[in-house]
Amino acid sequence: MLKVKAGDLDRMGMLFERYNRQLYGFLFHMTYQRELSEDMVQQVFYKMLKYRHTFTGTGEYIHWMYSIARNVLKDHWRKNKQQVQHEGVEAAETIAGGLVPDEAFEKKQAKAELHRAMEKLSESQREILALSRFQELKCQEIAEILGMTEGTVKVRIHRAMQELKSIYVKMER
Amino acid sequence: MKCELYEELFTGWINKELSPEESGALERHIAGCANCREELQGLQQMWDTMGQIETPEPSANMGVKFYAMLNTYKESVNEQRSLWADIKYQVSRIWEWQPRWPMAYNLAMVVILVGAGYLFFGKSKSDDQDKQLKALSSQVHELKQTMMLALLENPSASERIRGVSYTSEIKHADKQVIDALLATLNNDPNVNVRLSTLDALTHLTGYPEVREGLIKSIVEQDSPLMQLAIADVMLKLQEKRSVTSFKELLKQKGLDNGVRDKIKQTITQLI
Ligand SMILES: [Zn+2]
Repeated sequence: MLKVKAGDLDRMGMLFERYNRQLYGFLFHMTYQRELSEDMVQQVFYKMLKYRHTFTGTGEYIHWMYSIARNVLKDHWRKNKQQVQHEGVEAAETIAGGLVPDEAFEKKQAKAELHRAMEKLSESQREILALSRFQELKCQEIAEILGMTEGTVKVRIHRAMQELKSIYVKMER
Repeated sequence: MKCELYEELFTGWINKELSPEESGALERHIAGCANCREELQGLQQMWDTMGQIETPEPSANMGVKFYAMLNTYKESVNEQRSLWADIKYQVSRIWEWQPRWPMAYNLAMVVILVGAGYLFFGKSKSDDQDKQLKALSSQVHELKQTMMLALLENPSASERIRGVSYTSEIKHADKQVIDALLATLNNDPNVNVRLSTLDALTHLTGYPEVREGLIKSIVEQDSPLMQLAIADVMLKLQEKRSVTSFKELLKQKGLDNGVRDKIKQTITQLI
């Protein structure tokens, strides 16, 4: 990343290749909208390009990327206060009839429902779960991105999981 | 201990980040606490289901748009970028060179000369101006080199890594640079710095003294990480002369077993 900072813009292409899917995945699980997530990836990379001189070279490049992504998300939510529009990962749960074996069907159903339950979490709870479960980051990395202690991250993940469970149970009834 | 005190461990349990002692503590607790046992089971199950939720792939469109943006950006920047930008960048980092005032003096000279050049020749292109700019470029290049050497002596490991990374900007490494890098490779207390240095040196293997330095370094390294990394480099370079050093390394007591296997494998692949 220091090379990008020094002005070697071609490096930015390499960084895009390396991180674009990961970043897209994070934004998708935060917004549930594909096209919007793609636009946001573009915004994040534009900001990194424009503000590359502010990257100090201390800490990981990827943490810097997430902090920019979080700002882009905050901006978006400030401007668009309406409910998130869910574009589910799986449209399969709406398939009618017995073509899908029951067990597989139920599994899919559970997955889709859980994903919808996550949507009902607060943004910060959804965020911490997205980072730990979908981005598979270690608690210590999340602590660095969110600027809290590792212990706090662990407690918050646990509370978010408890909350998710209670939402999920209510949905099933 | 109260159940709430195990909260942090719950997270570590489901995402498999617990140390054996922590797992043990939690296991002892849930053995006697049905509530926690049930909760942990429920959360684990949910965590596993979450792991099966697919993340869609971005469309090809995203890449197309990104590269279009990057190209536009490059064009706009190229117009402004010049030696001046380079010098400004160096000036902004002047504090890093404090122990080396002669360099600051050098830099001041460069700035004055470039300034004078612009005054004399204006914006028009001329051979003289080109010549002068070339001379200045080489001075800037020297400055980079001096700066790199200064950074290698910094007490902070991340600064030393930064120093090492400057090597890629130096077009022709002279003896001083190579010696400094080899010294860092063998003596730096931080393994990350040593690894970065090894990486930097692999780009300079066109210099025979770099190759020789790397071969000599094999027996100097005591970290398994470095031993494995050097073995990889030697394989890549197909450097048969390294076999003797590797055999020497194998004689060392306390060599990591994984490393031992890798070294043996490397030797067979090199012979
Ligand atoms: Zn308990």
